[in-house]
Amino acid sequence: MKKMLLTTMLAIAVLAANSGYAHHSGAGIDRTKTVTVDGTVKQFKWGNPHSWLEVEVTNNKGGVDLWNFEMNPPAYLVQSGWKSSSVKAGDKVKVTGRPFLSGDPGGIFVSVTLANGQVLAGGRAPSQVGGPPPATPATQPVPAPKQ
Amino acid sequence: MTRSQSTRAPQLAALIVIGLFAVSDLSAQFQAPGALGALAPANIAKPRPKAPFDLTGTWLHGGGPDNNFRFSPPAGFKLTPSAQVHYDAARKAQSEGKVYRDEIGQCWPAGLPVIMTRVWPIAMIQLPTAIYMISEFMNSMRVVYLDGRSHTDPDIAVPSFNGESIGRWENDTLVVDTRYFVADHHWIDSGIPGSDALNIIERMRLTNEGKTLEIEYTLTDPKSWEGSWKMTKRWQRVDERDIAEVECLPDLNQHMPTTQSNANVR
Repeated sequence: MKKMLLTTMLAIAVLAANSGYAHHSGAGIDRTKTVTVDGTVKQFKWGNPHSWLEVEVTNNKGGVDLWNFEMNPPAYLVQSGWKSSSVKAGDKVKVTGRPFLSGDPGGIFVSVTLANGQVLAGGRAPSQVGGPPPATPATQPVPAPKQ
Repeated sequence: MTRSQSTRAPQLAALIVIGLFAVSDLSAQFQAPGALGALAPANIAKPRPKAPFDLTGTWLHGGGPDNNFRFSPPAGFKLTPSAQVHYDAARKAQSEGKVYRDEIGQCWPAGLPVIMTRVWPIAMIQLPTAIYMISEFMNSMRVVYLDGRSHTDPDIAVPSFNGESIGRWENDTLVVDTRYFVADHHWIDSGIPGSDALNIIERMRLTNEGKTLEIEYTLTDPKSWEGSWKMTKRWQRVDERDIAEVECLPDLNQHMPTTQSNANVR
């Protein structure tokens, strides 16, 4: 139950983060699933209002598909240790994202694993800094009543 | 050049210069002849009562309970027939997992009031004559004039997405009246169009020792809904944030499949 609550909270957090800073609606994305692909970086854009990561992935027919992952702006990404030089064209990477409902290659970026094993996530919202305190985590155990 | 042409040349040049000045003035907020602009030192220096508060700083809509970023219609709302068409289409799209006319995603400006709660911080600079508000989101700018001017004559006002805002102090509250909005591509909420008849009254005050900005909104648009909608939103100071340059560029959406996919109902 504890794990399920945590998973639910994470899903809500991802949904809130991705819908909040986007310059557009997130319709067409399957928020319930993730997809992971191995490929070669074609382009990495470090910019506002979105960064993006394009990866060439070999498909099961021997061809190459271009997977396009939409990312948060740099203000988010730096919170997870990103730099503009974290990935570059030609790098071998493993990328996880939330896929398109349409089945088109790509989706909303979740994390990348670099060739050296380093994992970089999509980043948390710096906008929350200075905002209201977060709600008490639902997973926090409820103290037993005093006798 | 003939003699008569030579004589007319200076007059023609003067006309061209006057014409150029006239054209450059078209992009400005219209001022009464001879009136000072909000940034004119002589205007700023005019004696005025001290403002009850100073909004200068960076602000962020805080979200949280009872502080939704959306300007959703209140219970029992009634739309005009023309607005109802959009609302019904948006509900249909939503039921199909799609989004209806997400024009912000197509680089149209969010416009007031949506720009105020668009998650990105807003830099505010308050002078005695005006408050300049610049949202980090697409660097959208609005100016709230405080120098006693009236709204522009409707016959010459230029419609815009953030409208024309005129503020006045009412005790500890700044009351801002905004009008002259564009007639299309401007949405109050999903499927709720804002028209050129939209009028927004904001009652702004500071609470929480100046750390919280609270705005009570009254939204009226007889071309889109009946009566007035009231809602209250709150922003927090984010003193450790500055705003960056953010623009919707032509190559952005080429790399944003969500804005291009068939999940968008246009």
